[in-house]
Amino acid sequence: MPPLETLTIDCQDQPIRAINAAIRDALDAGTSVTVVNPGARHNIGVGMVTPGDMTVAGSVGYYCGGMTDGVRIQVRGSAGWGLAEGMLSGTVVVDGNAGNGAAASIRGGTVVIRGDCAARAGVSMKGGLLLIGGDVGYMTGFMMQKGAIVICGSAGDALADSMYEGVIFVGGEIASLGNDAVIEAPTGEDDRMLDAAFAEYGIPRPGRLRKIVSGRKLWNFQHEEIETWRQAL
Amino acid sequence: MCGIAGYLDKRTPNAPLGQTMLVMLNSLGQRGPDSAGMALFGPANPFGEVCLIKLPERQDPDAAERRLTERLQGLATVSERRRIGDVVRLVVDRSAGVRDFCSAIERRDDGFEVLSLGRSIELSKQVGEPGNLDRTFDVSAFRGSHGIGHTRLSTESKVDLSHSQPFWARGIPDLATVHNGHITNYDRLRRIYEQRGLRFFSENDSEVIAVYLADQLDKGLSLGDAVAQSLDDFDGSFSYLVATPSEFGYARDPFALKPMIIVETPDYVAVANEEIAIRSALGPAGVAREPSGHVYRLWKVGSEVADAAA
Repeated sequence: MPPLETLTIDCQDQPIRAINAAIRDALDAGTSVTVVNPGARHNIGVGMVTPGDMTVAGSVGYYCGGMTDGVRIQVRGSAGWGLAEGMLSGTVVVDGNAGNGAAASIRGGTVVIRGDCAARAGVSMKGGLLLIGGDVGYMTGFMMQKGAIVICGSAGDALADSMYEGVIFVGGEIASLGNDAVIEAPTGEDDRMLDAAFAEYGIPRPGRLRKIVSGRKLWNFQHEEIETWRQAL
Repeated sequence: MCGIAGYLDKRTPNAPLGQTMLVMLNSLGQRGPDSAGMALFGPANPFGEVCLIKLPERQDPDAAERRLTERLQGLATVSERRRIGDVVRLVVDRSAGVRDFCSAIERRDDGFEVLSLGRSIELSKQVGEPGNLDRTFDVSAFRGSHGIGHTRLSTESKVDLSHSQPFWARGIPDLATVHNGHITNYDRLRRIYEQRGLRFFSENDSEVIAVYLADQLDKGLSLGDAVAQSLDDFDGSFSYLVATPSEFGYARDPFALKPMIIVETPDYVAVANEEIAIRSALGPAGVAREPSGHVYRLWKVGSEVADAAA
């Protein structure tokens, strides 16, 4: 029998291990998954490594889509802490808002949040793209190492604090920049990347986008910058 | 890790509040099953203030209650009295001031403790998971407008009734708070308050939030100003909720270290550490949002109250 095109998995009264086993089996069989009654449960769709599509009809709790590789996930609600944490590739698109640490440590892929993010979005990112339609909170992009964060709205305090590499774009206000974060002019290549990202996810491009990168002063310890180090540590 | 939850019904002062709060707390029970409690707010009691008093542990409760009766002589007339578990619930008409009333009952180290006092507040707490609260206090029958609740995972202090939350802001009738996190300058703050003669009944750092808010209100600050100031006066991690008969809200530390999710619809405001609590109790309506750090928000309860305040 050929596999079903879409399998509906009901979270009601099911332990999370059973839910994730059902998702994994469906993706392995080439079947798309719709998860209903998620009830903001934690760990939905964690560790899925077979490419495929998963739609969650509602909000998810912590770590949704974490440690996935190549899965396309749609969340028709909001997400809790650690959305897509450690993702290798694939996409996670959230219609609502996200809690702390969205796209933390992702190595690749794209995370889209149409609403706002709380604190520390994109912390320690090691690649990939984090696209946010709304505002972000405190310490977004903290210790980021690679990849791009695009924020259409405003950013909270300590944006891009101690980032090593990578790039952040902000459309709205920046409450304050973090240690060693500097603003520089976007390039033509940046513009092409941004246009493509906004077009793909149907998010209107803000009129102005400021680009933030690492000042690279914290890469090596320098005694004359001891005050910056005191702040950073 | 602790669970905190709050609910404000914008439609009616007669919502099935206890039931809603119970479902929210039960779904947060995984965050800590050591103790659980709620402060529920309904219409003002027409006969006086509801007062919850803890009886001394490991003593004959009947004898303890007789001693309590003696202490109440001249402080208040009692129109209702019921023993619930380890506590006595009274309805009192006080003739003494709040602090005098409390200190006359709570003599040094003899185990009596006023757990809450106020015309509108119905506080319940005990050791164990949230489900037990209903069996002891019948909270699911309570109807009202708003409430806050707590389920505790003890990390640094012991598990007993005095260390359970919510904490009543001793000295201010009808003000209670629940907290998730660690107040790391607790020792310093406690020392300052104790030097001024204020008494603590636990070694739970969360207790200092209630003491702090009572102190700020005593100084004449509004609740909003007190909560705003607390964002800078407390160190450490905190998401806490606060409620009085007329206000309901949250505060969050500058680093946003503890979770705090809000769903607001035209009908209600629901706040909890995890959205799972809100969805289990209230279904899929409204978009969940987590604020960043160094924020607080208070909602006015009911339009009549808001008009009176304005």
